[in-house]
Amino acid sequence: MTFTPLIAAEGGIVDSLVESAQRTGETFGFNAWLFFSQIISFVIVAILLQKFAYKPILTVLEERRKRIADGLANADKIKQQLAESEQRYQEILTKANTEAQKMIDEARASAAAVKEKETQRAIGEAEQILVKAREAAAMEHTKMLAELKREVGRLVIGTTTKVTGKVLNADDQKRLSEEAAREVAA
Amino acid sequence: MHNPVFSTYSPTSIGRRLRLFVLSLLLFSSSGLGLLASEASHEVISASTHETHAEHAHQGLTPNAPLIDLGIFKVTNSMIVTWIVALGIIVFAQYATRKIKDVPDGAQNFWEWLVESLHDFLESIIGHDLVKKTFWFFATLFIFILFTNWAGLIPGVGTIGWGVPNAQGGLDHIARPLFRGVNADLNMTLGMATIFFACWIVWALQANGPGGFVLHIFGPKGKTEGFMKAMMIVVFILVGFLEIVSIMFRPVSLSFRLYGNVFAGENMLESMSNLVPSLSWLIPVPFYFMELLVGLVQALVFMLLTSVFTLLICQHEEGHH
Repeated sequence: MTFTPLIAAEGGIVDSLVESAQRTGETFGFNAWLFFSQIISFVIVAILLQKFAYKPILTVLEERRKRIADGLANADKIKQQLAESEQRYQEILTKANTEAQKMIDEARASAAAVKEKETQRAIGEAEQILVKAREAAAMEHTKMLAELKREVGRLVIGTTTKVTGKVLNADDQKRLSEEAAREVAA
Repeated sequence: MHNPVFSTYSPTSIGRRLRLFVLSLLLFSSSGLGLLASEASHEVISASTHETHAEHAHQGLTPNAPLIDLGIFKVTNSMIVTWIVALGIIVFAQYATRKIKDVPDGAQNFWEWLVESLHDFLESIIGHDLVKKTFWFFATLFIFILFTNWAGLIPGVGTIGWGVPNAQGGLDHIARPLFRGVNADLNMTLGMATIFFACWIVWALQANGPGGFVLHIFGPKGKTEGFMKAMMIVVFILVGFLEIVSIMFRPVSLSFRLYGNVFAGENMLESMSNLVPSLSWLIPVPFYFMELLVGLVQALVFMLLTSVFTLLICQHEEGHH
């Protein structure tokens, strides 16, 4: 096999292809000038459509998409902030509850201590009053008893003097007075 | 075809065999293209067989109809419809977005729905990063192809224009229509597919870099070791050439698919209108609904295919970073 027939064969095929393409083009109305004119025309149309037909609406759609995305991002941000606020609020509430409970407990403890202290003080004072009252009563009783003894002794001496009709000396008076006092004390 | 080269086996001439392999693929693809062409021709001819007059064999759309010649730039009747549709879309979009409301209604609501749905749909296919870069192109493809396809169904498109009057002074055939279905013009569909091809190369190079682009096409996929790895490298180099052939034919398949469907649809509508002259107001009606659907499907197919092609070259496979 040599290379020459191959080239020749290829040349034949290429020629045949070109001829076939030309025939086909002519059959269907291909014309190089009209073809280039249509290319220029379509390029102009495509540029004009892009500039005046698609671009305005694509700009609007892009802006709207951006606005929606921003809105969603903001909504997420607000939601997150709300959750954080809720958490902070819960924390503050819990802390306040704890502190309030602590204060109440302290107040209760303090009130109980004050109550105990005051009760003890009142009890002490009452006891002191009672002791003083008892002492005063005892002193009064002693004083009255002494006066009663003296009065009974005088009455006994007086009565005895009147009944016997004699004047009692100091020893009789002393003895009668002491007997009467013993009787009263018994 | 007898070719001694095909019957010769030489284990040392791998490069030569590779070239032959690619050429045979090109030939095969060319046959496929020829078949496609013949099928499309058949559709046109089939549509024309319903015509009663010999001149009705030309009643399909006029292939080339430049109305204004500005040197290298020629304004055709399909280009006029292109601009009218583009102007309509721009005016509607401007009207819809003149007073933007936070809660959209009316035109703003519809336009937002269309653009946003398209954006989300493309994003679900090609991903967030790629859709940011390519949305302008794929959205233009879909919206533009959809509305031009539907605009081609408006009465008057293809039926108002210049022609040679018959004996009664009427026009049997419009030789130079004032307006013409945009995607019934191969130059237009091929132009769109070519622009996609250029964009595709730019996006592919941006995503992969020149080395990554080559590696993406020729690099072995999967993890292999030793002898198998060497084998896989050879296999994937061959597959890479296949891939290149496939890539090269994408503009052709994209443009011919759209052109064929729209062109055939318009011819079918014309044929249905002329089938029974007294019922020409009724017979095409179901086909108009079908063409509405075809217009939508073809716009979707064109956009989906181009977006998937872009995704395939721009996505990073494991081990190709």
